[in-house]
Formats: sequence, C-alpha cells, structure tokens
Amino acid sequence: MTWLAIFLIVVGLFFLVVGSIGILRFPDVFSRAHALSLTDSLGAVFVLAGLAVYEGFTFNFLRIVVVLLLIYLMNPVISHATLRAAYRSGLRPTGEKDK
Amino acid sequence: MKIFPVIALFVLWLVLSASYDLIHVVMGIVTAAIVVWINPTAAPSTRKFSWLSAIGYMPWLFGRVLKSGFHVSKLILDPALPIKPELLHYKTNLRSNGELVVLGNSITLTPGTITVEVAPGELIVHAIDAPSQKDLVSGVLDDKVGRLFPMKERDK
Repeated sequence: MTWLAIFLIVVGLFFLVVGSIGILRFPDVFSRAHALSLTDSLGAVFVLAGLAVYEGFTFNFLRIVVVLLLIYLMNPVISHATLRAAYRSGLRPTGEKDK
Repeated sequence: MKIFPVIALFVLWLVLSASYDLIHVVMGIVTAAIVVWINPTAAPSTRKFSWLSAIGYMPWLFGRVLKSGFHVSKLILDPALPIKPELLHYKTNLRSNGELVVLGNSITLTPGTITVEVAPGELIVHAIDAPSQKDLVSGVLDDKVGRLFPMKERDK
C-alpha cells in the first residue's frame, strides 16, 4: 500500500513539475492556463489520491475525497473566469490576428 | 432563506473541519447561513440531471484528462515547444444552463482546451495545438454530456 501511495505521489509530482515548467515556457496567458490546468487536474489529484491510499479508510480519507471533488468542480471555473476576464479586456492569443 | 443548502454546507464544514468544540461548530452554522444568504438561488434547470450516468461519465472524463495530460506534458518538455494556440468557435446543440456548465467545465478540465466564453449554443474555446483541437471538434464530448441530461417531455 505504501508503495502504491509513493507511486501515485511521484506521478503527481511529475505533473506538478511539468506544469510549472510549462507556466514558465509558454508565451501568453491563454497557453499558460493550459499548463496550470495540468497541475491541478492531474498533479494535485494524483498527490491527493496517493495521500488517500496512504491514509486508508479513515475519516481523513473521506476529507481527501471531498477535497478532490471540490478541486474538480472549482478549478475549471477559476481557469475559465481568468481567461474570460483576459478575453473581455481585449487580450488575444499570440500569433492570432484580431478579428 | 432556504434551509436545505444551509444544512448541506454545514455538513461540508463538519466533514472538512478538524475541531468540534462549540465555537467552531457555531462558526460553521453562521458561515453556511451567510453563504446561502449572499448567493442568489440559481434558476431551476429545465433538464433533469441523471446521477446514474454521471457515475459512468466521471471515469471516462478522467481517462480523457489523463490522455491529454500526457500529450500536453510532451508539448511542454519538447525543446522546440511545438504549440499552435488558437481560439475557435465551438458550436454545440446543448442549450440549458446545466448542460453548458458540465460541458464548459469538462473542456476546461481537459488539458489542451479551455473554455473562454460561453453562450447558449456556442462556446469560444482556446486550444493549445491541432491534436487537442481535433479531439474536441469530433463532438464526442457533446454526446456524452447530452446523455447526462435525459430529455423531458416538455422540452421536445
């Protein structure tokens, strides 16, 4: 069980690191948001799943599952709100002509 | 003020809270009440949500997220950074609020595509490169989300 937990957490860390690199490498706010969605829809989820496996079926397990569900519900909303604000204030992706 | 949302939020507080002494429990009740009081009640959806299909939908969506997650990771780690960002207008047959929320959220959750703007029948989506774009335009997500909201008689 511990090894499964370690495996899940390492996979999560991989996505967190790659996502952070992506935020640094991508050119504008739109593409950076893609890197960000990598960190929360995969990175955070794998790390939390690893913690849940490590914890076993206790009350903390339930808490972690609730946090996982909340992440899946809320993070897309945050990304969307950020990009919509950027779009409405006139930003356009680099390389695209204003239509 | 509706009592059911307050109870639901209070239960959420109890689950996430680590301390059950008087002050924290009272704080939970007050917080739940304030949250419900501040937020206006959402308009009732015209479509019924099928929880049964949602059980099948979530693992399917996670599989998609995982697949495109590896794809975007590959893009990020590629020294040439072969991205081709583009805004596209995505036409959908879905109209009701509930359907649009689930569709928009699913698109944003999937790495490689993000919903930028939503209107009934049309979404503006930002795609990071051509394969992500192709995956979305195939319309498979549309069908799946539509199936989560079975048609009621009066919608026909």
